[in-house]
Amino acid sequence: MSIIYFLIGCSVMLALAFLIAFFWAQRSGQNDDLYTPSIRILIDDEDEITPEK
Amino acid sequence: MTESHTIEKTTCYHCGDDCLTDAYIIDDKHFCCHGCKSVYEILSAGKLCNYYVFNDHPGATRARIDKRFDYLSDPAIISELIDFTDQQITIVTFYIPHIHCSSCLWLLEKLNTINPAIHYCRVDFLKKQLNIRFDHQKLSLQQLVELLYDIGYEPLISLQDIIKKQNEPTNDNLVLKIAVAGFCFGNVMLLSFPEYFGLSAYEQTFKHFFGWLNILFALPVVFYSGWGYFVSAWQNLRNKVLNIDFPLALGIAVLFGRTVLEIVTHSGAGFADTLCGLVFFLLVGKFVQKKTYHHISFERDYRSFFPVAVHVVNDGVEKPIPLSQLHTGHRMVIRYNEIIPADAILLKGEALIDFSFVTGEAIPVSKTLGEIIYAGGRQTGEAIEMEVVKPVSQSYLTQLWNNEAFTRKQDNRMQTFNEKVSKYFTIVLLTIAFASLIFWLPTDFKRGLAAFTAVLIVACPCALALSTPFTMSAALSIFDRNLFYLKNVKVVEQLAAINTIVMDKTGTITTGDSDKVKIGAELTAIQRQLIYSACINSIHPLCRMICQYLGNMAKLSTSIYTEIPGKGIIALIDGHRLRVGSGELIWGLPETGIGTTRVHLMIDKQYLGYFSFKHHYRDGMENVAALKTTYPLFLLSGDQDHEQYELTRFFKNTADMHFNQSPQDKLDFIRSLQDQGKKVMMIGDGLNDSGALKQSDLGIAVTDNVNNFSPGSDAILDGRSFHQLPAFLRFSKDTVTIIHLSFLISLTYNLIGLTYAVTGKLSPLIAAILMPVSTVTIISFTSLATHFMAKQRKLI
Amino acid sequence: MQPENFYYDNKIVRNFGIATVIWGIIGMTVGLIVAIQLYHPGMNMGNQYTTYGRIRPLHTNAVIFAFVGNAIFMGVYYSLQRLLKARMFSDVLSKIHFWVWQLIIVSAVITLPLGLTTSHEYAELEWPIDIAITLIWVVFGINMFGTIFKRRERHLYVAIWFYIATFVTIAVLHIVNSFELPVSAWKSYYVYAGVQDALVQWWYGHNAVAFFLTTPYLGMMYYFLPKMANRPIYSYKLSILHFWALIFIYIWAGPHHLLYTTLPGWAQSLGVAFSVMLIAPSWGGMINGLLTLRGAWDKVRDDVVLKFMVVGLTAYGMATFEGPMLSLKQVNGIAHFSDWIIAHVHVGALGWNGFLTFAILYWLIPRIYKTELFSKKLASFHFWIGTLGILFYAIPMYWAGFTQSLMLKEFTPEGMLKYPNFLETTLQILPMHMMRSAGGAMYLLGVIVMAYNLAKTMLKGSLVANEAAQAMPLAPVHTIAKEAAWHRRLERRPIQLMIAALLVILIGTFVELMPTLTISSNIPTIASVKPYTPLELQGRDLYIREGCSNCHSQTVRPFRSETERYGEYSKAGEFVYDHPFLWGSKRTGPDLAREGGKYGDAWHYNHLMDPRLMSPGSIMPNYDWLLSQTLDTSLTAGKINAMRKLGVPYALGYEKIANHDLDMQAKKISDDLAKDHIKVKSNKEVIAIIAYLQRLGTDIKANKTATNN
Repeated sequence: MSIIYFLIGCSVMLALAFLIAFFWAQRSGQNDDLYTPSIRILIDDEDEITPEK
Repeated sequence: MTESHTIEKTTCYHCGDDCLTDAYIIDDKHFCCHGCKSVYEILSAGKLCNYYVFNDHPGATRARIDKRFDYLSDPAIISELIDFTDQQITIVTFYIPHIHCSSCLWLLEKLNTINPAIHYCRVDFLKKQLNIRFDHQKLSLQQLVELLYDIGYEPLISLQDIIKKQNEPTNDNLVLKIAVAGFCFGNVMLLSFPEYFGLSAYEQTFKHFFGWLNILFALPVVFYSGWGYFVSAWQNLRNKVLNIDFPLALGIAVLFGRTVLEIVTHSGAGFADTLCGLVFFLLVGKFVQKKTYHHISFERDYRSFFPVAVHVVNDGVEKPIPLSQLHTGHRMVIRYNEIIPADAILLKGEALIDFSFVTGEAIPVSKTLGEIIYAGGRQTGEAIEMEVVKPVSQSYLTQLWNNEAFTRKQDNRMQTFNEKVSKYFTIVLLTIAFASLIFWLPTDFKRGLAAFTAVLIVACPCALALSTPFTMSAALSIFDRNLFYLKNVKVVEQLAAINTIVMDKTGTITTGDSDKVKIGAELTAIQRQLIYSACINSIHPLCRMICQYLGNMAKLSTSIYTEIPGKGIIALIDGHRLRVGSGELIWGLPETGIGTTRVHLMIDKQYLGYFSFKHHYRDGMENVAALKTTYPLFLLSGDQDHEQYELTRFFKNTADMHFNQSPQDKLDFIRSLQDQGKKVMMIGDGLNDSGALKQSDLGIAVTDNVNNFSPGSDAILDGRSFHQLPAFLRFSKDTVTIIHLSFLISLTYNLIGLTYAVTGKLSPLIAAILMPVSTVTIISFTSLATHFMAKQRKLI
Repeated sequence: MQPENFYYDNKIVRNFGIATVIWGIIGMTVGLIVAIQLYHPGMNMGNQYTTYGRIRPLHTNAVIFAFVGNAIFMGVYYSLQRLLKARMFSDVLSKIHFWVWQLIIVSAVITLPLGLTTSHEYAELEWPIDIAITLIWVVFGINMFGTIFKRRERHLYVAIWFYIATFVTIAVLHIVNSFELPVSAWKSYYVYAGVQDALVQWWYGHNAVAFFLTTPYLGMMYYFLPKMANRPIYSYKLSILHFWALIFIYIWAGPHHLLYTTLPGWAQSLGVAFSVMLIAPSWGGMINGLLTLRGAWDKVRDDVVLKFMVVGLTAYGMATFEGPMLSLKQVNGIAHFSDWIIAHVHVGALGWNGFLTFAILYWLIPRIYKTELFSKKLASFHFWIGTLGILFYAIPMYWAGFTQSLMLKEFTPEGMLKYPNFLETTLQILPMHMMRSAGGAMYLLGVIVMAYNLAKTMLKGSLVANEAAQAMPLAPVHTIAKEAAWHRRLERRPIQLMIAALLVILIGTFVELMPTLTISSNIPTIASVKPYTPLELQGRDLYIREGCSNCHSQTVRPFRSETERYGEYSKAGEFVYDHPFLWGSKRTGPDLAREGGKYGDAWHYNHLMDPRLMSPGSIMPNYDWLLSQTLDTSLTAGKINAMRKLGVPYALGYEKIANHDLDMQAKKISDDLAKDHIKVKSNKEVIAIIAYLQRLGTDIKANKTATNN
C-alpha cells in the first residue's frame, strides 16, 4: 500500500498550499471586513435596479 | 387634538421624516427641510439618484444647514486626523454614524463621480467608517468634509478620534494561530487514526512514517500557536501568580515531550492529536471571548463630544485654534449648536444654553452677561462671545477626568471565577502528579514518570479553560440580541455580583429627548394656524415640538417676527399679535413652583393657555423599581427636586433620592457606598454621570441611540430594553451558575482521566477521546444551558 | 483620477450557457436510454456502439463534464468578472477554453462508444484526451488568475475562493489519477495495480464529486443566490469559515467507496471518520443559503428562480447528510453495489447541480439579453415537472436498492441462500427501474421546455456582448502606509500562489512517486497468483472495452451471503497484476471475481451470443459481435512490455513468443467449444474473453496459502 505515502503526500501538500493561501488572505487584510463585501456584491450599476421591497 | 393628526402627512423623500411644511418640493418629491432638499439636488445633479432606489428614505435628516469646518484647514489638526499623506495623496478615515444601508455604501463609494479629486472610497459597514484617498492638491480636507456634509454624511470628528489614533490596539494574529493549529490538528488526526484503527503487522512502516509526520505537525502547534501559553505562564510565575495558563502550558509541554519520546523510541504512538486538538480548542475559546462591537465605543469621555477646535477672536480677527491650545483669557466665539468647551464668562450676545448632555435637561436655560457658563453646554441661540476662565482640562465638567477613578487601572475590580479557581486547581494537580510520581518511583521508575506525565496530560484543564469563554460569549450574544451591549465577557460576572443599584434621573429613567406635549388651552383652527405659523419660523426645540404637535398646516404671512432667546416669540401674523413663550414673556415675571416646562400662548392680548412639556418615565420603570425589594435602590439627579413627589412611588423612601447632585457629588456618593462594602451598579446617561459610572463596580450607560453619545462605561443599554434590566440581572446570575456547573463537568472528566493516569497506564487513545469529548460536552452544555436560561428569562 | 471604463464579456458566458443546455439534453437523453436498457435489452439496438457498457460512461461523462462543466464555466465567467470588476484576462484564452472544451467532449462522445476507455469511473477518457484536459485546465487557470491579477476590487469574495479551490484541487486530482502508460494511440494501462489503483481511483472519484460538483456550485450559490434574492448572504463570516473547513476535511473521505474491499481496514475507517466529519462544513453552506431567504419566503413563492434554488439547496443538504450515513460500514454493507447509490447520486446531481444550473440560466440569460424571460409559466412548469421527476427517480431507486440487497442477503431457515439465482432479484426490481426511467423522462422534458423558453428569450432580446462597466483602479502601492509592506505582493500574490501551490504539489508528487512505481509494496502477495496469459490479457482488455465492469463487480466482500453466492472473499494479493483494477461499483449483474470454472466455455459462448438462451429474462445485452470480430493481436507484444514496465513479472523477451502462446490457448478453447458442436475460429474475440472469464479467481482456488513477503 505504498500508494498511501503518495496520496497522503498529495493531500498534505494541497492542504499546505491552502494554508499558505489563508495566511496571505489574513495578512493582506482580506478578512478584515467580513460584512461589507456581502452587501457590495449586490450593487451593480445596471440602468434598472429593482428596489428592495 | 386627534384631528390635527388626521391631516394627511407627507414624509421626506430623503430622510423619511414628516414634512411639517410644503415649502420644499422639487420633481414632485417632498422634503422636510432645505437641507434634505439640497442633498437631493446635489445627488440628482451627479446622476446618483439610484441612491433612492436601493432603499426608501436612506438619508439623514438635515435640519441644520450651516457648516463650521474651517478649523479643518489648520495643519496641526489635519496632521492629527489623517492616516497618511505624501506630496499629493492623502488618506483619511472618518467615522460616519449615519452609514446604515446599501444606499449609503453605494453613494459613499461613488464620491468620485461628484468630485474626481477623490480617488478611492471604502466603507466598512460595521465600523461605520469611510476610508478615503484623495488628491489634496485639488481638494482640501475641509472641502472633503463639507462635501460629505452636503450629501448628508457628516463625519463625527472629535477630539478623541485624534487621541485614539496613537493608541490603536495591536492584534496578536490569533486567527493565524488558530488556522495553523486547525490545519495541523486535521492532518494529525488523519495520521493518528490508522494507529487507533489498528495497523496490521506488515504495515508497521506506516506507523513510523506517520509518527514522524506527527512530530513535524506538532512543532508549529507548540512553538507558534501554543507559544502564548508558555509566555503568559512564565510571566505569571514571575509575578507569583498561578493562573490557568500554567497547567495549560505544562500540559502542552508534557504532551509534546512524551509524543517526541515515544515516537523516537518506537515505544508508542504519542499524543500528537491530543496536543493539537488541545491547542486548537483553547485558541478557539480565546477567539470567541474577544467579542467586539465595532460600532460602539465604551471608552468615550468629554473629548469625544467637544469640538476639535474653537473660534477665537484675536484683536478683531476670528480664527480657529485647536482645543489643546485654548487658554484662559482667550475670547472665543460660540455659534448656534456649538458646544462650550471650557468654563467661560459670557461677554456678548444672548446665551441660551442646552445642558441636555451634561444634565439630561432638555429645556435650554438662558444666561445673562457676566455669568459663568460651564463647559459642556450647547448654545442654541445666536452666536455669543465669551472669555475662557478655566482651561479645558480644569473646567467644571472635565475636571472629573482628573479624578483617580479615571487614572486607576481597569479590570482588576473583581476577580473572575476562573481566576479564583485555577489557582487551587493548579496546586491540586501538581500534588497529585508528584504524589503518583513518588508512589511509583521506588518500584518502577519508568512507570512513575509515565504516571506523572499522564496526570499532567489528562488533568490539563482544557474544558475548564473553555467553560467561561463559551458561556460568556453565548450570554453576551443574548444580551446583544436584547440591545444590551457589554464591554467584555467579564462584565457578565460583575453584573451577577453587584448588590446595590444607583440611578441617574434625567435621560436615564426619564426619556430626555421625546417629551410629551400637553395642551392646556382650547384653540380654534385659526388660532392653531396662527401659532403654527409663528413657531415654524423658529428652530427652538420647543417650537419644533409644537409644530410637530399641530401637524402639517398652511403657513400664514408673517409681517413682524422677533424671537427673544430664552423667552419666546413676538410676532404679527395676518393682523394678529402673538406672544408665544415663557411666563416672563407674557406677564413679565418668571413663574415658579411648577414641575413642568410651559410655553404660554397669547393672541391679541388674550391669554389662551399653554403647552406643557412633561418628562415621562421610561416604559417598564415599574419593573426596574421593583428591584428595590432585592437591591438597595438609589437616585442621583442633577437637577431640581420638583419631581420628587412623582418619584416616590419608585423608591423606598425620599432618603434614597438625592437631587442637585454635581458630577463630583455623584462620584463621591458611589464611593461612600463602596466604602460600606457594597458592590455598586451605576446607571446613567449624561457626561455628568461619567465619574459615577467609572467609580462604580459596574457602570451602565443608557442611551436611545448607541451611535450617539454615551459616556465611558462597562455596558451600554439601549433605552428600548430598559424595562428588561431585572431580567438581565437575573440572567447574569444564571450564567455564573452555568459556569460553575460546567466546571464540575470538566472536573469529572479530569477525575476519569486521572484514574487511568495515576496507574501510569494512559493510552493515547483514551487521551485522544477524553480531550475532545470533554471539550465538546462543555461547549454544547454551556451554549445549550445559556439559551435555555435565556428562554426562561424571556430574553429570546 | 478618472474611473476606468471597461466591458464585461457576456458572449463567452452566453456560449457556455448554450453549451450547457445542449449537452444537458444530450447527456440526459443518453441517461434515459441506459435507464430503459436496464429493463428492455432491445434498447441496446443490437450494435456494439450503443450497448449499456459503452454508453453508460458516455452518460456520466456528458452530464458531469459537459453539462455541469459548461455550467460551471458559465457561472464562473459571469460572476468572476463582476466580482473583480474586470473583464476576463484574455478573450483569446476564453475562446480557446470554450472551443477546446467542446472538442474534448465531442472526442468523448466518439471514443467512448468505440470502447476506447480506461475503465476508471468518471475518468474513462484515454490518455490523449487526458492530456488535452490538462492543457485546457491550465488555460482556464491562467485566464482566471490573470483576471484576479488585474482586478479592480481588492477583496476576493468567498465565491472566488471556491473557484480557486476547484481549480487547484481538480488539477491535482486529474494528474494523479491519469498516470497511465500508453501502449498505443488509444490504449494505456494505469501505473498502479489492484487495491492501490482502486484507492487512487476513489481518492479521485470522491474528490471529483467534491471539487467539481460541490465547491464550484457553492461558489456560484454564494454569488447568484444573494443577487437573485437581492439580499446579502445570511452570514458572510460563516461562508468563509465553512469554506476553509471544507477544504481541509474533504480530501480524505475517498476510501468510503471501498468499504469491505481488500483495502486495509484502517484506511477504510479513515474514510468513514472523515466522511462523517464532513457533515458540518457541508451543512454550513446549505444553512447559510436557506437562511439567506428567511423572511423572504413571499419572494420565493412567486419567483421560480428562487424556487429552483431552494429545492437545489435542500437536495444538497439531503445528499450531504446521506453521504456520511452511507459511509457508515453497516449502512454501506447494504447500500453499496445497489441502486440506493444511484438514487443518492441523482438526488445530488438532479437536485443540487441541475436545479442550481437551471436557476442560474433563467436568471442570467434574460440579464445578458436585456429582456424579460419569455415565459414564466413554462419556467414554473419546468420547476414542477423537474421536482416530480426527481421524486419519481429517487424513490423507486431507493426502493429497488433496499429490495435487491435484502433479497441477496436473505437466507432460508436451512441456512441456504433464499435467492441463489441473482437474476431473480433483478427481475424483482424491474418495475422500479421502469418508474425511474419515467422520472428521468419527466426531468428531461423539463429541460427541453427550458431550452425552448431560453431560446425564445434570446430571440426576444439582443445579446449585450460587451456590457459597459466602470470602476476605480486599485490603489497604487505606496499610498497605504499600513499595508505598504504587503501591498505589492498583494497584487502579485494570486499568481505566485497558484505557481507555488502547483510546484509544491509536483515536488511532493515526485518525492512520493518513487515507492509507488515499484510493486514491491507491503501487500501480502499470494504465491499462486500468476500474471495473465497473453490471451487472458487481451480478453481482459475486451472486458474493459465492453465496459463489463459497469454492471459486474470483481470483489467478494466478507459477508456470508456473498461467500455463499460467489465463493471465498477477495484478498489484496489477488489483484497485484490488475492494471487497472476492475472491482466496479455497481452490481447490476452478479459478481465475477470467482467466475472462472463455474460454467463451461460453451455456456459462456452462448451466453455472450444471447444471454437469454442461458438465463431467461436476463437484461444483459447480446454481445454477438464478439463472435464475429477477429481479435487484434498486433498489440500483444506492446502490452506485455508495458505490463513488465509496471512490474508484472513477464520474462524478458516473452513478448516475442506471446502471440504464439496466445494462439495455442485460443486453439484449446475453440477445440473445447467444438466438442459442444460450436464451430468458431480460434482468432475470434469471444475466445479471448472466455479465456479471461475462465481465469477469474482460479489462482487462489489452486492454492490458498497467503504468504507475506
